[in-house]
Amino acid sequence: MTAIAHATIVMERSYNASPTRVFAAWADVEARKRWSAPAENIRIEYEAADFREGGKDVSRCIEPGNADYIATVHYLDIRKDQRLVFAEDVVHGNKRVSAALISVLLTPRGADTHLALTLQIASFDDAGMEAGYQFGWSSALDNLAKEFAQ
Amino acid sequence: MTARNTTHATFVIERDLAHPPAKVFAAYADPKKKAKWFGGPPEWKSQHTMDFRVGGKEVSQGGPPDGVVHKMSGEYWDIVENERIVLSYELHLDATRISVSLGTTEIKSHGAGSKLIYTEQGVYLDGYDDGGQREEGTRELLGQLESYLKT
Repeated sequence: MTAIAHATIVMERSYNASPTRVFAAWADVEARKRWSAPAENIRIEYEAADFREGGKDVSRCIEPGNADYIATVHYLDIRKDQRLVFAEDVVHGNKRVSAALISVLLTPRGADTHLALTLQIASFDDAGMEAGYQFGWSSALDNLAKEFAQ
Repeated sequence: MTARNTTHATFVIERDLAHPPAKVFAAYADPKKKAKWFGGPPEWKSQHTMDFRVGGKEVSQGGPPDGVVHKMSGEYWDIVENERIVLSYELHLDATRISVSLGTTEIKSHGAGSKLIYTEQGVYLDGYDDGGQREEGTRELLGQLESYLKT
């Protein structure tokens, strides 16, 4: 018997940068590789990257001692400097563990940008992906601030 | 800069059906069967194509005569035969994208029939639609599924 756990997680951050710079850090795959790795010992590699509506990314989250997490992203809605909506699934050790719909809204606040990230997750068969997304994205959004430190 | 906004909502619809999971699953999996219940009213003359496998696409398009074209474009992310279907879909009214959703259909054996649980996690864009309206529309659609299953 299969089971699905649904969850919605909202994360908000404020960055000392314009929406254009914050958007660019998502659009640029090299920048994304830097900030999206959630921990020092985890690295992200891209097998495909195509940041446009209808485009697809395939990335591998590599952690020593653990099977890779392979994420496939389909970009569904891109409004430059304003909004991003994509669907993603994650495969871990040959098993699909989740599907998720992820949206990012950027709003200028004075010289800063307010970012709201909403993760709508369907986690399969007790894979615990809600916790995985919570950890991964919370760290990634904290890392993103470092892109604007200089 | 045009103001953009997003509204997120999740709704769940459950149905107890007097048919075994295999029959309910087939109503989703077989394009000929799905075309019989999935889509707008007959006068919309909906066009429907689907490729029921992980990574496969589905498009349903139609609308009132000389009216707005409603286009649903979906993609299958996960399929477990007789148990589970996960689909993401976007909805356009003419050229405007009004929503993106993740829809999961779970079918469980329940007595002599089955229990259908549909969960939609949606992002509604720029105020064209919201979770309440979508839930109502989806309830109508599942009503059409129930009517079809009785035939």
